[in-house]
Amino acid sequence: MDSHLTELQNYLVLGGLLFSIGLIGLLVRRNMIVMFLCVEMMLQGISVSLVAWGRFHGDWGGQMLVIFIVTVAACEAAIGLAMILAVFNYSKQLDIAFWQEVREAGIPPFTDHEIPEEREEDRVWPTLSPAGVEPELDVEEITHRSRV
Amino acid sequence: MNWSLVNSLWPLFVSMVLGSAGIWLMLPPKGRQGRFVGAILSVAGLLLLAIQLLGFGQWNGQAMFMLLATFTTISAVATITMRSPVYSAIWFALTLLGTAGLLLLQEAQFLAVATIIVYAGAILVTFLFVLMLAQPEGHAIYDRMSWGKFAPLCAVLSGVLLVGGLTFLLSDLEAMPEAASLPTDNHMARLGGELFSRRLLSVELAGTLLLIALVGAIAIAKDTRPKPRQAVSTSSDGRQA
Repeated sequence: MDSHLTELQNYLVLGGLLFSIGLIGLLVRRNMIVMFLCVEMMLQGISVSLVAWGRFHGDWGGQMLVIFIVTVAACEAAIGLAMILAVFNYSKQLDIAFWQEVREAGIPPFTDHEIPEEREEDRVWPTLSPAGVEPELDVEEITHRSRV
Repeated sequence: MNWSLVNSLWPLFVSMVLGSAGIWLMLPPKGRQGRFVGAILSVAGLLLLAIQLLGFGQWNGQAMFMLLATFTTISAVATITMRSPVYSAIWFALTLLGTAGLLLLQEAQFLAVATIIVYAGAILVTFLFVLMLAQPEGHAIYDRMSWGKFAPLCAVLSGVLLVGGLTFLLSDLEAMPEAASLPTDNHMARLGGELFSRRLLSVELAGTLLLIALVGAIAIAKDTRPKPRQAVSTSSDGRQA
């Protein structure tokens, strides 16, 4: 098997991996911003595949399409994030499950059966360790007022 | 039964099972031990898949690809499994770096640089900006939940079927007639020439789309609700000012 074909296969498998990892994230996560990141990751997978095809066929079409993917991704991010902000101003949370209240009539709501408890270490935030030596303060110099 | 098919297929099958079990263990409703075990399992699955891919061809010339692909895949999995969305965004930046490296390997220099500048530089920063506006405390209860018990399982299954099927179908591609490869000198000039001659209409369309998105984003983000009326101020002698 020639090396061009091998390369194409490798890149297509990688593109498929990125696409499906993004798909899994989109289906599983509930934070709207993370869902958005997953959509961008799916676009990355498509880009890798398109460039690989373009190189295999010796054609600029793949790279052209990727340029337009980047353009559309930028538009999508601008509009999507503006919408997320507008939605957040209404619901005060990024949970997509909040929006099931606009579902069709007659469809039962999704309810969380088990809510994970918040552990102690989840509330701890990283802090910067103190560096250097704290300078000794000269109280007289600080409180000295020359014009009084 | 076709045993040769089974013999050639089992590494792919095992790698898909390992990878999917690992991702499933790392996804939100699971605890900390699950994430550790899941990370080990999915790395093992990824290694098996890499060996499978190496079976397609020879080792030489693939080392760089394998390195970058492993880096990209691991950071992609970390993006979707991190509980804090800030960490998700940072891991996604690493995914973008890996993708840019892969594009560079494929002699798409302009796209590699554009990915870093436009995606990691502009889009991702906008994501982080909105994240800090909307969720300044960093973690929320819905980041540690999913849609019940079966949703992660079904999602992982569908994703794995996609990758497994694709890899299986790709494993017996037949050699196609050799196409002319792209010239590698003067990359930017050739790309620009193609972009502004054959694809000129698309460029115009993309520009229009950007303009519409710009106006639309401002129109959406603007607060159009009527403002609450100002409290009527009264002057000292009780009359309305």
